[in-house]
Amino acid sequence: MFGAGQGTVLSSCETERGSRVVWRVFQDSLMLIAVSGGGNKALSELHLRRLLENTWNCMVLVLGRDELANVRNVERLKRELRSCYRLIDRLLERGGEDQGFMGDLTHCADCLVPAQPGILQETLDSFTQAADSEFGCLLIRGRVAVATDKWLRLAPQEVILLSTLANSLSGVTSCDYPVFLPQGSPTVAHRLLCFQLLPSAVVCVLCGPSPSLHRVESELVGSFWSPLVETLRGCLEQAERSSLPPSVSLRWDIQALLVINRETRRSVVASSRASSQNPSEAPPLSSPARRWELLRHFYTFAVTRYFTSEEVTTSPTLPATPCYLVTDECKCYGLQTPQHQLYLLTDLSVPTFALRSVATLTLSAVTGATGF
Amino acid sequence: MEAVPPGSVIVADWYRNPDSRDFFTKILHKKKRRVFGLLEAPVMPPHLKADTVRYKVFISGKSGVGKTALAARLAGHQIPNMHYETTGMETSIVFWPVKLKESSRVLFFQFQLWDCGENAMRRFDHMLTSCKEQVDAILFLFSFTDHGSFKDISNQMSRFTDPSDRVVRLVVGTKFDLFMHTDVTESEITRFQEVSRVPVFRVGGDVSEGFGEIAPLLNALAENLWHQDCIHASSASLPPQPHPEDTNREVIV
Repeated sequence: MFGAGQGTVLSSCETERGSRVVWRVFQDSLMLIAVSGGGNKALSELHLRRLLENTWNCMVLVLGRDELANVRNVERLKRELRSCYRLIDRLLERGGEDQGFMGDLTHCADCLVPAQPGILQETLDSFTQAADSEFGCLLIRGRVAVATDKWLRLAPQEVILLSTLANSLSGVTSCDYPVFLPQGSPTVAHRLLCFQLLPSAVVCVLCGPSPSLHRVESELVGSFWSPLVETLRGCLEQAERSSLPPSVSLRWDIQALLVINRETRRSVVASSRASSQNPSEAPPLSSPARRWELLRHFYTFAVTRYFTSEEVTTSPTLPATPCYLVTDECKCYGLQTPQHQLYLLTDLSVPTFALRSVATLTLSAVTGATGF
Repeated sequence: MEAVPPGSVIVADWYRNPDSRDFFTKILHKKKRRVFGLLEAPVMPPHLKADTVRYKVFISGKSGVGKTALAARLAGHQIPNMHYETTGMETSIVFWPVKLKESSRVLFFQFQLWDCGENAMRRFDHMLTSCKEQVDAILFLFSFTDHGSFKDISNQMSRFTDPSDRVVRLVVGTKFDLFMHTDVTESEITRFQEVSRVPVFRVGGDVSEGFGEIAPLLNALAENLWHQDCIHASSASLPPQPHPEDTNREVIV
């Protein structure tokens, strides 16, 4: 703040032991400050910047941009902000859970690829239409399984927030939340209707003033989705094992991977389970939580140094340099094509010179079979 | 309509009866209450078949009084230990098996609990209309630790006047376990019940295993809703006009 008075812009500072303070002013009205501790719990600057953006988007989602940009009564705003806490807390927790949610960091929607997308897509499209809407999506265990075209064209940060909101239902069977889409409609509220069809299978639609929650729940949900109970159960079972369908098989020495579709801003993760295919000499795989943590660190490393331009450009440019890293826990490889990005974590047993071909083959295995 | 005495229409405390066990196990999963999705319902074997009757119950009360906690308590889910304001409307489903006294018939009552944050209701007009739409019962909540919320009950009840008198009303006092901070006395409760003719229930504290805590309230809801349906069905001289809700319910005259 002292610097701003002198006309300079200072955006972050850090201590020797890795503690960090990052800040940003939004809409010339509010400043958000993020502080992280040092040592093992240190968060990267990228992560903290994303956190500030996510927090601001949460606030807009719940309160609307007008309330935040034109603050008339500070005490009243402080009271109203309390309603954002639940969503912000959920967003913070999600990144830390050992289920590999990366959306808060990558700003790409966490997805999974179902084995039978056709019937799910059809039902979702007709259900959404019957609810007078064009925005619909089906979440399986917190990840987007299928979504309507318009939903996929929402800004990725919006998709992540809406997924987080829908995923915080737990014991609740349905809900009607007013939401202000931070990019698409920050001053006019829409209604997010969510329905928990089966535990952890949630269908969402974004609506205007009608139809009412009661009407959709009593008249539409049963008639459209009851025929698909078995398909949904199959989907839930598959999601328990992997976000990728059984048709994609990965090498046993791949610890974890993240594939991002740069055009649609969607991402999918996978990690190998401890399997009997491991030769006994190989070191044991790290725990799932540790693997997700390493993947997040590698993503941050690659994006800050190598894959710095996030937009997809049509003009011919030099291909981004692939990058790799060898640590004492695993080997990492980062690859970017015009359409995709791949972040791969492998066992130490994979020879370093072979990483590039392993990565290329893995990427085509994932995208070829699934059309991701 | 005045509340009926407990145990007059349904078997009181049926959950304690051994012959209810087959039904109550269907709403449990590994000793905890089962979470039912919208496409799911308790399934009984053919020789024990029981029909399901659905009712919409709205939970009304000031912010922080414990509406979301009550919905979680009745549904048997984890009660949030931090108070987060509900930013919109949330519904939960509670299945509750009940045995009718006269016919000994067993029914599954499916209560759809509607919980709306006070702030959200104030900011968005459609919320209150949505909550009141085709509602069958209203639970008016106050907290034992907040005398203001108790005094507000009569205000709340007057806001929900219903000309057809088809809505069951019950009052629930929350945080009853915090007796060190109680702000509402027993005599006030007694006087309120005498004057308004609406029964008051008490909830609070950690959820214990078993149904003892929620049974009185759920049984009272079931009893009064069933009784009301019977009265309205038999008092009509012509067959009742079909309402969309009635197609889901059977009424025995």
